[in-house]
Amino acid sequence: MTLIKFLLTALAGIALGFMITTRVLDRRLSFDTAQAGPWRGQPKSGTMDIDPYANARIARTAELPLGSAEGLSFIARNDSAGAPLRPDCDYIVSGGVPPTRYWTLTLISPKGFLIDNKAKRFGFTSAEVVRAADGTFTIVVARTARSGNWLPVGDARAYALMLRLYDTLLDFGTTKVGADALPKITRGGCA
Amino acid sequence: MTVRFYSFLLYLAGVLFVAGLVHIVAILVMPQVATRDAYARLAALAKPGETTLLPRALPGHQVTPYEDPAFAQAVCLYDLTDGPLHVHADLPDNRLVTISFRTRTGQVFYSMTDRASLHGTIDVRIMTQPQLDAIEAAEGDEDNDQPLKELRLVAPDAKGFVLVDAMSTYPSERAGAEAEVKSVACAPETLAQD
Repeated sequence: MTLIKFLLTALAGIALGFMITTRVLDRRLSFDTAQAGPWRGQPKSGTMDIDPYANARIARTAELPLGSAEGLSFIARNDSAGAPLRPDCDYIVSGGVPPTRYWTLTLISPKGFLIDNKAKRFGFTSAEVVRAADGTFTIVVARTARSGNWLPVGDARAYALMLRLYDTLLDFGTTKVGADALPKITRGGCA
Repeated sequence: MTVRFYSFLLYLAGVLFVAGLVHIVAILVMPQVATRDAYARLAALAKPGETTLLPRALPGHQVTPYEDPAFAQAVCLYDLTDGPLHVHADLPDNRLVTISFRTRTGQVFYSMTDRASLHGTIDVRIMTQPQLDAIEAAEGDEDNDQPLKELRLVAPDAKGFVLVDAMSTYPSERAGAEAEVKSVACAPETLAQD
């Protein structure tokens, strides 16, 4: 009887351990987290100093994080108010970006894949974006076509935004980054 | 009642202990046991020791997640067992080109952009520590005054891959970016044995 109890305890522990591992990796948790407003990055994932959780994740998902000299990447799953991004709402991504040679903003599925849309636009590069006279920009993330910089959502039921800064002077190791260093994501109208 | 309660707590502690152990071990061995990691996916598309252009990132046709659709990407898988790998790039355009050197399990041990080029060229030799020692011993002291024209990188493991990225800032530059990453030469060398 005691042996069975011991075995059950071990089995329950193993199952729970695998469950926790899957959950942690799916949620991209790690000790190495940089945050600026809704944007989250893992600046050490492009070095040999990579966090063990990020290391396990890249083995599992096969993603190729940017090398530290290549640039930094950030993912936003929420808007600047903290609410999850909803596919039936419009969002305005606006503001400035730290000194960087190029940046790109891409719309991805929660697992990091591109989402098909009729306009065949999957993101913007800093060169493509139409800017205001003061150099700031506004990108509208919406399901239906908008004038100006429109990033289509397609038929996605959930999505995230990915911001990549290439050849950037921003260094999360030495600088504290405020919420307004990266673009704001403001919710507009909802269908 | 209290005895039963404490014995339940004990079993619960046992479950949590085993779960924690399994979690830590699973995280640590994941890079070694993952079968569908980046290297495995790239190895299905590319031959070792040569530059292979990866298919453009489009919905439903992505080799790896979190690819930037604005980039053309090429890969060179290497195995340094028989000798170093020489990576040579001519970058005449002012296009953003980044090169990352990764281990078999996908960690970046060195990365650079076209800004690190010397008169528009990049020359990198990846080698193991014994190979570097052999090259330095062969060179002796004779040309110590000459600045090195190449970057010598010691790779953590014999196996790994080099990823070359070029940005097409506008869709019209896609063909140019693809041609540029494809033109990066990646040549395995055999060390002269004496």
